[in-house]
Amino acid sequence: MLDHILSLLIFFPAIAAIMGFVVHKDSAKAFGVAVSVIEFVISLYLWFAFDTNVSGMQFMENISVVPAFGINYLVGIDGISLFIVIMASFFTMIGIASLGDMKKIKNLVITLLFLQMTMVGVFAALDAILFYVFWELSLVPMLYIIGAWGGPLRIYASVKFFLYTFTGSLVMLVGMLFMAFLYNQATGVWSFSILEWYRLILPLNYQLWLFAAFFIGFAIKVPMFPFHTWLPYAHGQAPTIGSVILAAVLLKMGTYAFIRFSLPMFPDAAAFFMFPIAAIAIIMIIYTAMVAYAQEDIKQVVAYSSISHMGVIILGTFALNVEGITGSVFLMIGHGIVSGALFFLVGVIYDRRHTKMMSEFGGLASVMPRYATIFGIMMMASVGLPLLVNFVGEFLSLLGFYNQSHIATLLAGTAIIVGAIYMLSSYKRAFFGEVTNEANRKLPDVNSRELLALIPLTIIAVWLGVYPKPLLEPINNSVKSVVMLMHEKAITPEGKSRIPSLENKVAMQTPEAEVK
Amino acid sequence: MEIGLTHYLVLSTVLFSIGLLGVMRRKNLLMLFFATEILLNAVNVGFAAISHYYNDLTGQMFAFFIIAIAASEVAVGLGLLIAWYKRHGNINLDAMSSMRG
Amino acid sequence: MELYLYIALFSPLVGALFAGLFGASPKTLLTGVVNSSLLFASFLSSAVLLGYVLNGQTVHVEMMQWIAAGNLYIPFGFVVDQVSVTMMMVVTTVSTVVHVYSIGYMDHDKGFNRFFSYLSAFVFSMMVLVMSDNFAGLFIGWEGVGLCSWLLIGFWYHKESATWAANEAFIMNRIADLGMLIGIFLVYWNTGSLQYDKAFAVMPTLDNITLMYIGVFLFIGAMGKSAQFPLHTWLADAMEGPTPVSALIHAATMVTAGVYLVVRANPLYHMIPEMGLFIASLGAFVAMFAATMALVNRDMKRIIAYSTLSQLGYMFVAAGLGAYWVALFHLMAHAFFKALLFLGAGNVMHAMDGELDPFKMGGLRKSMKWTFIMMTLASVALAGIYPLAGFFSKDAILEVGFVEHHYVIYTVLLLTAGMTAFYSFRLVALIFHGEERYKVFGFHPHEAYKFVLIAMSPLAILAVIAGSFKSTYFDMVTKILPNTEYHIHSEVTEWTMIIGTQLFVILAIFFAYKKYINFKGENKEFEKRLVYKVLINQYYIPYFYEEYITKPYRELSTVFWKKVDMKVVDATVDCIANGIYKAGENTRDMQNGNLSSMLRWMVAGTVILLSLAVAFGLAVRYADEISAVLSGLGA
Repeated sequence: MLDHILSLLIFFPAIAAIMGFVVHKDSAKAFGVAVSVIEFVISLYLWFAFDTNVSGMQFMENISVVPAFGINYLVGIDGISLFIVIMASFFTMIGIASLGDMKKIKNLVITLLFLQMTMVGVFAALDAILFYVFWELSLVPMLYIIGAWGGPLRIYASVKFFLYTFTGSLVMLVGMLFMAFLYNQATGVWSFSILEWYRLILPLNYQLWLFAAFFIGFAIKVPMFPFHTWLPYAHGQAPTIGSVILAAVLLKMGTYAFIRFSLPMFPDAAAFFMFPIAAIAIIMIIYTAMVAYAQEDIKQVVAYSSISHMGVIILGTFALNVEGITGSVFLMIGHGIVSGALFFLVGVIYDRRHTKMMSEFGGLASVMPRYATIFGIMMMASVGLPLLVNFVGEFLSLLGFYNQSHIATLLAGTAIIVGAIYMLSSYKRAFFGEVTNEANRKLPDVNSRELLALIPLTIIAVWLGVYPKPLLEPINNSVKSVVMLMHEKAITPEGKSRIPSLENKVAMQTPEAEVK
Repeated sequence: MEIGLTHYLVLSTVLFSIGLLGVMRRKNLLMLFFATEILLNAVNVGFAAISHYYNDLTGQMFAFFIIAIAASEVAVGLGLLIAWYKRHGNINLDAMSSMRG
Repeated sequence: MELYLYIALFSPLVGALFAGLFGASPKTLLTGVVNSSLLFASFLSSAVLLGYVLNGQTVHVEMMQWIAAGNLYIPFGFVVDQVSVTMMMVVTTVSTVVHVYSIGYMDHDKGFNRFFSYLSAFVFSMMVLVMSDNFAGLFIGWEGVGLCSWLLIGFWYHKESATWAANEAFIMNRIADLGMLIGIFLVYWNTGSLQYDKAFAVMPTLDNITLMYIGVFLFIGAMGKSAQFPLHTWLADAMEGPTPVSALIHAATMVTAGVYLVVRANPLYHMIPEMGLFIASLGAFVAMFAATMALVNRDMKRIIAYSTLSQLGYMFVAAGLGAYWVALFHLMAHAFFKALLFLGAGNVMHAMDGELDPFKMGGLRKSMKWTFIMMTLASVALAGIYPLAGFFSKDAILEVGFVEHHYVIYTVLLLTAGMTAFYSFRLVALIFHGEERYKVFGFHPHEAYKFVLIAMSPLAILAVIAGSFKSTYFDMVTKILPNTEYHIHSEVTEWTMIIGTQLFVILAIFFAYKKYINFKGENKEFEKRLVYKVLINQYYIPYFYEEYITKPYRELSTVFWKKVDMKVVDATVDCIANGIYKAGENTRDMQNGNLSSMLRWMVAGTVILLSLAVAFGLAVRYADEISAVLSGLGA
């Protein structure tokens, strides 16, 4: 089983989704839950079987698809992608389990299972074409989820989401093709394997152009300022489950791809663009936090806060040292948990009142104490309180970047201030004060179906905040090998100096040894 | 004055221009077919002339191909034209706009 | 000993979780009793550890790994040494008293269980703060107390002012925390470790500029927690919280965390005396600045809060001038009498149905005898009259200023001591003496529950006798703190100073009594004066913050959203999309389905392509000539 566990993980939900068409609509949710639980168990088994001491790729599978151009079905997992995969299956599971009464629930379950395939596929793919296929495929279920179950502006929002990200990925595709061409020029054979590409040392000007091409695709997905405006619309119109998965997993594709593609392939370009990107990250952090503060819709607050947090992740990634990149990978997990939970929580109140305007609420803490408590914990996690999950990632990301620039980190560090401002003021508006709106006086507290999703998330948020080691260790190992590779490959003095060399070279896993 | 390649090519060009003008101006489908035939035959003249000039039979072969294709095209086209006429009672181009995008 | 350490540390956490389980359910006395007992257990364990430390030994444990990435390694490590055990004793003593007191004080509150949960969680965070053996652990506690402070200030969340004050406190502390975080980053990248012992061992090898930066940024963190100027406004507003909270968090423990940090980082600050002088100057300034605001204020709790602020200034003076043990000693003494003062004020508030204006009280000594005695004791201690606790600790700080030849600081502190005595006894006189003005308002004062008074008594006793620990204490802490003893060279000068100070303070007390003991009506004339207006409006600093920081921030946020994000960034994207859409709309006529026009387009297209081909062909053919012409143009 272990030989093909990744294929199983990728295609099991898709096969189940096809089978889902024949399932009766009343049992569709149960079917979805069963499939996603099995998927989650498999992903946990993957973690169990994962050797945390190995920094390279594990569970690799390689099937030739187009031999003439070196396009293979090549999948594998390392410490960086492992936990995002687990998180994807986890969120699909609790997402389906906590679905309420929705129209066409069968279609929704099938869509979610397809989405799961694409998500796992993106994070497991080690072949650029395979990666691209899953990357683009993931747009389709999401388009459908927003377009079919969304709010009044759903068509506009979903088309905007689709076209925007699609445009970016086309530029990325051009970059990939050019990269393959360069590889062919250098070695005489065609290959789209990322691991093969790692071995290629490019001159700086090629690196810069390729970096830029990949950057467009990734930056729109993240989304980075000023390409972020599709996100508030998508979140604003998407149903709860759509927002949860979008924020928790889909956004991570962009930041993950930076670490998988841009950094190891173009280390000098990454070092070259470090400060411009840090500037964008700082704008993301401060500017979107301020925009979040001005929002009147609580879901938009969470949506903009996502962008702000993604800024910290980007900053950590471009710290180019082990601390920063490890922090940013961990923050991807943390942000997934926390923003996913916050979107769930917003969904809870939306189900009851069918509005997300904060002015409609007030005094909810006395009406829904359990809800207020969980919201409070997640808010504090989002603000970056120590012993909750986000702090570890934020701390490491900022710590990492501090070694590159003091001023930039000081500016980015204002994240902890501006984050507190918008979160606390929104919380105050919605939860504190007297109950002024009669409609809120009799609201029921969270029910057991909702707790099914929220309690595990709360537990994870605390667990990973107190004891992040199980995740941090494998991430750290894999990140170390990435940083070593980058330092080895760097050709410009700038790259050599900005990417630290690690003393302990014994642990280095050369990519050559990995490819079969 | 001997008639050389230039004359043939000029003839071909003139014929082509007439055909082109016809394609652009005519509103009657039947006339359009005539114009197309003129175009094709203009090219044929050119092919045959150049073929003779270079002593290479490929050009003339091509001309035959074109004649064959033109014939089959007209056969199919006229069939469609008659079918259209039977259904709509005219063959005016401006009335045919079901492909409007 | 490790067992005691864990009991001392974790029993408050157990209490917090236990009470949290009943958080939403109606009052159960059980939570109060269980939490108080757990706190008492924590206190006893701390006492055992104190005995152990007094023998000259320390406990250091590493519980487990927390964060490890790259070269960074942060464990959950705890240390009980001379400094942290002092803090542990202060924290557990005061918090045990406050817990028991709260059983009475929160008697009728709906959120009784929730309150105990927050209160115990606070104690846990505070214990983490003081016991941690590294900067990151300190930061955990630092943020944890901030969170609990937010929860407790906003405990009565239906009140707008309370939630506002809670958010203000949290955000203002966050500003300082950023400084602290930067300080921590600096420590890590320059020393390679966040463990106190390792980091401080490397620091002497660093250059002065780096040390200065570390010192400055860490002190910014301390300024927030300890509410030093200009981050002080939250402390007075924090008085919106229940009074036991003010006693525990905003007087005795949390606000002293900044002082603790400076004391803990004494090897660092020892190397940068310039920074120390700045700390001391700021402390002296704050001491005076806060005292002046307390002089005229009409809110009982705010007066005590300003007094806390002022005393924190004293502590920073001592810490800044290198007398770390004096700072810590004053911290301890202050915790006892200030908590007592607050708890007494809480009794008065209860008796007065939540009234805070001392001008509406008066003559309460008859109905509240014990509260009167304890508050007077606490005020005497605060004023620094021999032989109460305040005398020993505060006088030591004055001596430090004098011996170190910082006469300006000394003078400021001396004046402030007079003011302290004045406003303390102004308060006592207004509340307990004179006419019973409250009768007009229909209050029926009553003494607090007996067990509440008994619970307060340890603090009263400590406020009286804490001064006698001074020499024992000195012997203990100077094992790890610099043992700077301050003796004024000539004995005459010393006695003159002590007696002079005492006389000055007593004079201030008499002046306060004389002015306020037979207080009749408010002095309208005085209220019109500029100085009164400035002081009662807190030097217009909150107004300034609101007008020039909060409001512009809010407006700028709205502009960013409605103008920049919607009208510029998003509009650009939509503009591109619309452009493409419009282009499609306009070229749609090409596909009008009319064969004739389509053929015309086809011809046009062919002609364009042909002419392009011809043009390129010509260009290639005459490339040399063209480039010659172009280069001619260039030259």
